[in-house]
Formats: sequence, C-alpha cells, structure tokens
Amino acid sequence: MSYPTASLTRTLRHTLNNGMTVLIYPTPDVPVVSVRGDLLVGAVHEPDEQLAGLAVFTAAALIRGTQRRSFQQITAEIEARGCGVSVNAGMHTTNFSGKALPEDLPLVLELLAELLRQPTFPPHELNKLRGQYLMTLRESEQDTRYRASQALRELLFPVAHPYRRFASGTVDSLQQISRADLLRFHQYYHPANSTIVIVGAVQPEQVLRLLEQDFGDWQGTTPTPTLAPELPPVPPLRAIRREDVVLSGKVQTDIYWAVPGVRRTDPDFYAALIGNMVLGQFGMGGRLWHALREQQGIAYSVSSGLEAGFGAGPWLAYAGVNPHNVERAIEAVLAELARFVEQGCTPEEVDDVRAYLTGSLALGLETTGGIASTLLSIERFGLGLDYLDRYPALIHAVTLDEINAVARRYLTLDRYVLATAGPPASAG
Amino acid sequence: MQNVHTHILANGLTILLKPMHTAPVITAWLWYRVGSRNEGSGITGISHWVEHMLFKGTPDYPQGTIDRLIERNGGYLNGFTSRDYTAYYETLPADRIGLALQIEADRMINAVFDADEVERERTVILAELEGYANHPATWLDEAVHAAAFTVHPYHHPVIGYACDLHAITRADLYQHYQTYYMPNNAVLVLVGDFDPDALLATVVDLFGALPSGPPIPPVRAVEPEPQGERRLTIRRPGAAEYVQISYLTPDCRHADFAPLLVLNAVLSGARALSGGGVPTNRSARLYKALTETQLATNVYSAYIPSRDPYLFELGATVRQEHHAAEIEAVLLHEIARIQDQGITAEELARVHKQMRAQLAYSSESVTNQARMLGTWAMLDSHTRAATLLDELAAVQVADVQRVACAYLTEQRRIVGTFVPLADAAVVHEQDAAA
Repeated sequence: MSYPTASLTRTLRHTLNNGMTVLIYPTPDVPVVSVRGDLLVGAVHEPDEQLAGLAVFTAAALIRGTQRRSFQQITAEIEARGCGVSVNAGMHTTNFSGKALPEDLPLVLELLAELLRQPTFPPHELNKLRGQYLMTLRESEQDTRYRASQALRELLFPVAHPYRRFASGTVDSLQQISRADLLRFHQYYHPANSTIVIVGAVQPEQVLRLLEQDFGDWQGTTPTPTLAPELPPVPPLRAIRREDVVLSGKVQTDIYWAVPGVRRTDPDFYAALIGNMVLGQFGMGGRLWHALREQQGIAYSVSSGLEAGFGAGPWLAYAGVNPHNVERAIEAVLAELARFVEQGCTPEEVDDVRAYLTGSLALGLETTGGIASTLLSIERFGLGLDYLDRYPALIHAVTLDEINAVARRYLTLDRYVLATAGPPASAG
Repeated sequence: MQNVHTHILANGLTILLKPMHTAPVITAWLWYRVGSRNEGSGITGISHWVEHMLFKGTPDYPQGTIDRLIERNGGYLNGFTSRDYTAYYETLPADRIGLALQIEADRMINAVFDADEVERERTVILAELEGYANHPATWLDEAVHAAAFTVHPYHHPVIGYACDLHAITRADLYQHYQTYYMPNNAVLVLVGDFDPDALLATVVDLFGALPSGPPIPPVRAVEPEPQGERRLTIRRPGAAEYVQISYLTPDCRHADFAPLLVLNAVLSGARALSGGGVPTNRSARLYKALTETQLATNVYSAYIPSRDPYLFELGATVRQEHHAAEIEAVLLHEIARIQDQGITAEELARVHKQMRAQLAYSSESVTNQARMLGTWAMLDSHTRAATLLDELAAVQVADVQRVACAYLTEQRRIVGTFVPLADAAVVHEQDAAA
C-alpha cells in the first residue's frame, strides 16, 4: 500500500543566541499562522504539595498584566483583530500558543514575548483569576470522571510523586498560593529551555527578524536553567487496590482501571502504543469497546489510554456505566485484559493498527496548528526533523511478540488499581 | 467560500464538491434532513438512535467492519444528530475516499437494523443519556428548552426521553430510517484534494441508481408567540448555581438573522459556526459585566442558526459569594443597555474582523469546511457559507438595537435557575434507566 508522504524535513530549525529553539514551516497557500511553543517548566517543579497548581496558576496569570499592558488592554488588542494568544501549564511543560491572520503575526509574537518575559502579576487580577479557578475546581470535585481519575492517581503513585495529583491543584492549595510564589516560580522560565514553532503563510527570514526583536535579548533570571527533576521511583504494585467515591445526584458511575505505564522515550513505547490501540482505541475503542459496548451494551464511553510523556503515567482503561452494572463492567474489563495478556494480539489486529498509525499521518498535518503541534512534540522528545519519514519503519519494526511481551509485563492482573465514582450503591 | 461545484442527480441527491489542494486529504459528509425536529411524542430520540444503527452494518459491511475499514485506511469517521439534521463523515488520505463513498451509498438504504443489535444499542444510548445527566447544567438546559417550546418539537432533547428510549421498537426505528434516508432528502459534501469531474463520476456511479422516495413528512408545528415570561428553578445536588435566560428568536432564513448574530458577538465575541476558532469573549460585554466584576464565571451567549425559530441564550455559573438573582439582573441590564443605547460602530467593526479571522481558521481543515457547507445546505442553502461575511457587513448599528428591542423582550424569555441542594436535602434519586 502506498500512502501520501508526510514529511517535515523542509522545516527551518534555528537557535537564538540565548538558546531558544526556533522551528519555522511555511505553508504559503494557507492564509493563517499558528504558533506553538513550550518551556520545560511544569507542576513537577513546584516546591511542595501545599502549592500544587502553582505552575498552572503562574502560566494562566501571565496574561493578567505586563510591564506595558493591562489584562484588559491585552485582550482588547488581540480580540479586536480576532487573534488568539494563550499560555497554560501541565505536569512537565508550560505551553504557549498563538493564532492569527498573517498580517497580525507581529502583534502575536510581541504579546507572547511580553507575557513570558514581563508579567507583573497584579494582585487584584490574581484574585479574580483565583476565584475563577476555585469555581472550576469546586465543580470538578463533583464530577464523577474527575473524582475517579483523581482516586486512581492517589492509589497508583506514592505520596511524594507529582503524578499523584492533577497539575491544576486543589481548592485548598489554590488558596495557599501567593503572588510571591508566582514571582519565584516565574524565574524558572528561561529561553534555553524554550522552543517556539511557527507554521503558516510566512517568510522565514521575516519571522526570524521578528523573533530576534521580541525574544533575542531575553536572558532569563537564573544563570543555569533548572531542568526536569528526577521523578521519585514508583514502587511496584503488590496487590489489587480499589477505592469507590460516592457522589450524590449522579446517575452514572465512572470506572478507571490502571497500572504504571511507560515514558515516551522508553524502548517499550511503540509496542505499548500499538498494544493499547488494539486494547481500547482502534475501531472507535478496540477490544474494550467491542466487549462492553457492542456485545454487552452497557457503556457508551469505553476506551483505554496510555499517558506516556516525560515520565510514565498510567496505562488505564475507562468505562462509564449505570450504577447497577458497575461490578459487571469491571468483570468485563478484567476478562478482556486477561484475554489480551494470555492470548495476545492477533497478527490481523496489529496489522490494522500499523496501517492506521502510518496511514493517518497526512491527516495530522492538515492544518497549521496540526503541523505546529507535531513539530513541537518532535523537538521536545528529540525525535529529529526526519521523524515522520522514519515513522512507518519504526511502526513496522515492532513485532507481534514484542507487543504481546510488553502487554504481559505491564498489564498485571494480580496487581492493579481500580477507582470508581458515582451515586451511592442503593441509589442506583 | 468560492469554488463549490453543485450537482443534483435524477434521484434528488444534491452533491457539493469543493476542491482544496493544501493537503492530500479528502472529507466526505452525507447529510440528511432529519433530527429531533422530526420526532413526535413517544418516539423522542429516534433520529439519534437511527444514527447509531447506521454504524451497525449492512449485508456488505457487517457489524464492526465500517469503523475498522476507515481507520485501517488511515482515516477517521463519526456521525452526529442535531435538532435539524443528521450527518455522517469520513476524512481520509485522498486516494482512499472511494471507500467512504461506497459505505455511505450502501448504508443509505441497506442498513440491517438487526433486532439483537437494536436491543444492545438501547442500553448504550441510555448510558449516553445518563452520562449527560451526571452534569447538573444538563438538567437546567433541558428544563429551559422544554419551557420555551410548548408546541414545537424543539421542546425535547435530541437524545430523547428515557421512557421513549425504553419503549421504541425495531419497527419504529426501521420505519424512521425508511422515511428519511433517501437521496432526495440528502446532501453529499466533498471537500479536499480531488479533481471535481473525476470524483463526481465516482459519486454518480455509486449513488446514481439509488431509488428516491416520497417527500418527507412536513413539520407542521409552529411555536406560537409567547404570552409572558416563564420562570423555573431546578434543585438538585451540584457545586454551583447556574442561570440560563433564553429568548424565542427567528431562524437563520429571517432577515434579522445577521443582526442577531452581531448582537451575540457584541455580547460574547464572534465565533465561526464550525469550530477551529479562538476565544474572543474577554473584551466583550458580558465578560466585563460579570467575570471582571467577580460575580460569575463561564459567562456565555449563544445564537445558533436553526431551521425553525429557536433561541437566543445567555447564561453563567454563579460565583460562590453571589446568587442567581444578582446574575440575572446584570444579564438583563446588559440587554437593556443595548436596547436603550445600541452598540458602537467600533464594536460592529470588531465583530466583522473577528468573524473574518474565525472563518479563515475554520477553513483550514477540509473537515470543518464540509461541516460549514453542509450545515448551511441543511438549514437554507450552502451559498450562505460564502455570503455570511457580506451579510454581517450589511448590518448597521441601528439594526442591532432594533433586533434587541424586538426579540429580547420579557414576553419572549424563559429564566431558568439551578440551585444546588445541600447533601442532607437530597431527595430520592430518580433513576433515568428505571
């Protein structure tokens, strides 16, 4: 089979004198520009659990005022032109993005530079933002999927591990965070830890001039950037651990099953990726979908997921079911996992997933935003600009035996965690 | 949106082809003029259920093969049902689009509706309904819409009522399918990297021989002029109070559609009707009045193009230190301010620039372009996708004030409030699947 070639090798890669990495990919026919970038600063760099949410709060607060503009001026200026500018943080990175018609790219780059370099964190704006975050967190605390996922992470990761909590923090921790904490945390932002990707109807030389102008003299405040810390070891699971969260007013129970997974750079990554697609992704939702939705008709949403980033997140399965069907659904998930581990994938299943992974590359590069996200991820994980050219070979090099061996090694049926959140059993 | 080739086959199927060569990708969308609008009492949710059954196979593409084939060929697919239409789509590498066309031509008339599959899907859809019901705001939204429409089927949710989902039979589903799924009630939209003549030949080959059917039953219901404000309160467990205010407003073919769209954008920012945009709400009126003042979060307004008169809606999540009544008062004050003083020329210019940018973002993806063309083809004519910016440019400052006065009136509004129950006060839980 021949698929359209997907290649990003004609990307211009450049490093500014301050260490900031620049990737530019012109798409002359598309009258839009997408900007994506990141800094290697995230929730894993927070000083302690009391301040959980600090990375997310800092990133969100950047737009709330700079040395040159107020929050109201920034939003008025970008929105009057229909541009987008945003910054948010996750576990390991702080991500920024912009979107504009080509004529407005200079404004978007100028504002992104201002946000990242010169935030002032005005106290009254921090209060407003904190209030909004607290409302969102209070709603999350009554959301079954959020609560089941939260319980799962607490069962899976040890006390000192940052993956034990969500990057967004809690109602309690958000109230602890002070302006001084934000100012201190912002010092971790450093150009040498940063990448910016620009894709659209642009002239590379002109973009480089703009970037030199906006980011070229950014030196950061710490002489040597603090890189990603080593994550604490995750002790192997020794038994089955389960937690059931009860929430009133619900009519559905969300169920998560999980074991520790793999890092993106782990040699097992591609085998786990393919195995996971067979288990709970391919053909709308893999074997789990087939069993729980198509055969038993007990779930609308059912899938598996592999959170493989800088660190190894959970390898998980999910289903949302009627409270009467919770135990039946858990049995069905466990039965599918057992069959998956004992008998492995079939050659046909693996062939399907390989065809999907390689054949769908062109779809991911359809928009400027899709290209920019792909390039950012390539840069962040050091995959090389020829990664997409090598990708089909990488996928085809993974053997059925490797996939099945990885499934056996990770998906342990005598040691796993299980979390549910839903109405009281009697109310179901 | 230029460069759309239109063809109507002898059996009535309308075909829209828009070549776009920026990426080696094609999207195929098949739209049917059927949705919850076409459902009567006792069969609510049937259009959505029929949509689910079209993924359950035909003799040529048995259960489980459609998803697998599309994904195996590097594509993605889905379907959805709204009040006014049902759509199915596949986006694929350009050389694979024939597969999507074969599947869509086949399942327009050959879907099996196996009795056992119908039973299994019944509980899947009830699980879908229960998933929505886990969100407190769903209960408020459904109550507001039920109060807004006393005659028109926009009264009930697209997912349907649990009682009907328990009762609908295989025969009901199959009859609904046979009534609405035919070439003369469908529009096929193709956008992407193709030669229009060559692709049209493939389409004619696959769809040309499909039999056309009788005209679809007309929707006779006309929502009468409301005779006064309606108010309701939902009390359930939840984390926050919510306010939702909805006004009965004209459909998208009415001359006041464009001024109402501008009014919506002045209140909460302009956005494309098909995804892919950026937020533009923080410099708009409602954010300043409610979020900046720390009274509320998630403040919104919405005006969606519809086939029959639908709703102009406003709402917010009430901040913990405040109450729904305060938020309602501010929302109504913002409406009154436009009714009394109108909007500014600067606001009007901003809406136009925002919409131009949002449409450009949305047009990047072939999938979004086809969604835009098809939505307009269902509601009025696909040419509206191309003329929308001109329609907005023709709107004058005074038009916006005029439509605010004409439609956002006390008589036309429903005011709904969600008030969380304290845990101790939780009444016996009604089981949606009982």
